[in-house]
Amino acid sequence: MVEDDAAIALSAVTKTFGSKLAVDRLDLVVPRGALYGFIGPNGAGKTTSIRMIMSILFPDSGRLSVLGHHVALEAKDRIGYLPEERGVYRKMKVGAFLTYMGRLKGLRRQALAARIDTLLESVELGGVKRQHCWELSKGMSQKLQFLAAIIHQPDLLILDEPFSGLDPVGTRQLRDLVLAEHGRGATILFSTHAMVHAEEICQHVVMIHQGRKMLDEPVAAIRRRYDLRTVDFEPLSANADVTKLNAVAEVQSVVRIDDRYEILLVEGADPAAAMRGITAAVAPARIELSRPRLEDIFMQIVSETQSDRDANGLSHGAEQPTAMVS
Amino acid sequence: MRKIWFVALREFIATVTTRGFILGLLLTPALVTLAALALPSVLNQQSFRAEGQIAVIDATGVLAPRLREALDPERMAEIRNAGARRALERVPESLRGLVEGSEATRDPERVIEAMIGQVPRLQLIESQLDVDSAKNWLREDSANDAAHLAVAVIASDAVEASEGSVRYGSYDLYVPSDLDTRIENTIHQTIRSVIVAARAAAAGLDQRRVNALVRVDRVRTIAVTDEGERPSVRVFNRLLPFVFTGLMLLGVMVGGQLLLTSMVEEKSNRVIEVLLSAVSPLQLMAGKILGQMAVTLTVFGAYTSLGMAALISSAMLGLFDPWLLVYLCIFFVISYLVIGSLMVAIGAAVNEMREAQSLLMPIMLILIVPWLLAIPISLDPNSTFSTIISMVPPINTFTMMLRLASTAPPPAIQIWMSVAVGIVSVFAAIWFAAKIFQIGLLMHGRPPNFATLIRWSRTT
Repeated sequence: MVEDDAAIALSAVTKTFGSKLAVDRLDLVVPRGALYGFIGPNGAGKTTSIRMIMSILFPDSGRLSVLGHHVALEAKDRIGYLPEERGVYRKMKVGAFLTYMGRLKGLRRQALAARIDTLLESVELGGVKRQHCWELSKGMSQKLQFLAAIIHQPDLLILDEPFSGLDPVGTRQLRDLVLAEHGRGATILFSTHAMVHAEEICQHVVMIHQGRKMLDEPVAAIRRRYDLRTVDFEPLSANADVTKLNAVAEVQSVVRIDDRYEILLVEGADPAAAMRGITAAVAPARIELSRPRLEDIFMQIVSETQSDRDANGLSHGAEQPTAMVS
Repeated sequence: MRKIWFVALREFIATVTTRGFILGLLLTPALVTLAALALPSVLNQQSFRAEGQIAVIDATGVLAPRLREALDPERMAEIRNAGARRALERVPESLRGLVEGSEATRDPERVIEAMIGQVPRLQLIESQLDVDSAKNWLREDSANDAAHLAVAVIASDAVEASEGSVRYGSYDLYVPSDLDTRIENTIHQTIRSVIVAARAAAAGLDQRRVNALVRVDRVRTIAVTDEGERPSVRVFNRLLPFVFTGLMLLGVMVGGQLLLTSMVEEKSNRVIEVLLSAVSPLQLMAGKILGQMAVTLTVFGAYTSLGMAALISSAMLGLFDPWLLVYLCIFFVISYLVIGSLMVAIGAAVNEMREAQSLLMPIMLILIVPWLLAIPISLDPNSTFSTIISMVPPINTFTMMLRLASTAPPPAIQIWMSVAVGIVSVFAAIWFAAKIFQIGLLMHGRPPNFATLIRWSRTT
């Protein structure tokens, strides 16, 4: 169901290219003010979905709403977009490029000059305003493209693979900028195939695979739901008798990894009771419940979906999303 | 509309502020001016003088004295001046302004010298030698002597035909291999005129009377229109359709090429999708087409103004109907929008200029057609063929322009029918281009062929 008060709402949106099903009956609701991660491997359908949200492509079927409009074209001045395929006018000067983008986004020339100076200063690019875009390094160019996306202080910011090609310093700077925009009140949807980025900054994650939504939950809930069966354990004494751990009722297996142990709990075990039992059996230097990584969860979902499909003899596009999809 | 304006403005500024554009715009008129100034000096024949000896073996026995008389420098100067005067009299009314008060009327001899060189100083030697000896004389080193320029061997029947024949004999001219062509031409002209004069005298005719009988001065053509009479210059009239159509064709090709280059550049810079975050594909396409049209119109306007200024200064503006300029603008805009739309679509579909070549081929072939048809249309601008072809898009604009600039322009109804056809073709071309543009913009990888473009255009 399309929810008009949401920043983005997609309902059963489908897109095919020839015989290839790129997006399959995708439902998605991004509430206003949220920070959503749109994750999945390369070719999952993230960019196609984003392009449909941006009205660059149009769905074959289904409905969508962006900032209350059924076509994003009507709200483009309130949307900031950093596409995956991005670049700048190489022969244009940095200031002129930002002015042009600002003007296209509906800003007045008078207001732009001060805004551009502030933005450039904020990312340590104050001195490059009069330089040509071709003179910028890749990292600087990425920052410039990001500034072009936020120059009009959009209500909705859509970022497609914003961290690709950036070094760790650039990644950190851009991450801070994204968080600053979110802090300002912007709704943010960003896609990435590097799930570690989503894990770091997102409140909520939507995972798609082969054009279909596999997961749509808050990050905290995902962590609670998936794989809380592993305990990371380091004994206080190097000579401690760890075989006692096998005697704990909730423990299924113990695997040594260097100086620590990875303890797998039996299915349905209460983690709190298990940790109490473990600490009673062997004095710990460190004990913690392992936090599942999104990447692991994703791999788990994909493999389970594949197994279900193989078992049912179904091919892609002929079945409903699995039960794991919320 | 505001966004289309911004895209168009950026496109315009980005093109006209490039060094290449400014140089190109200024360079062409600068070269033309330079050529206009330098050409007379380059072609100045003032320093050229035909000087030397001509040996004549005259079998007629009557031509040599006449030839000596004809080669007299004073006599030659007289003939040249009379020719120049006749040429000045033939200058069309509309070009008089250029000539009157100029050096040509103030000091004609000096102008003639500049054009065809100084009066030749050719000395005639009546040779008693046989032809072979005369040839040897020609080969002799003439370093300390006057140059041996030629040996003329005149046939015995050159003045009076042989008994029972109506054909006259001629002459052979032996020259050194390095003889200047201008000297050779002077000798030929002189001998020829002397032979004709001698033949006329032998036939009991007055040479001047014969000349007067065979000469018809160049006639003036006056075009009669509903509005009145207009002086007409045949050469000008013949050239006008080609000039106007050529100007239009050149403008469309240059504008289309600029559009294609700009589109391919944006696509390879990957800046397209960044722009699509702010504008729709159609706004982007419209802005680009209009921006580059403004660039082309700037060039077009600059050159047309230059041409008009030249025509006004030479009082030749009256030679064509000013409405032609209005039609030129209308048909140019139509042609540009049709061809420009296709060019921008091709630019959006390919990844680099090299890939565009095969897709451009059909457009280039279409643009050649008006040139191929230019002569038949200008010969008979109101034939059924010309009428039909001026209604067939996308070449109707060019062929109609050929008809319009001809001496027999088509009726107004046909002109506006062609405009209407053009407007419909503009919408069709923009529709086709928009389809390809929207799909092609985001396409990377294998370049499409023409069939693929057609398939894209059918995509909803």
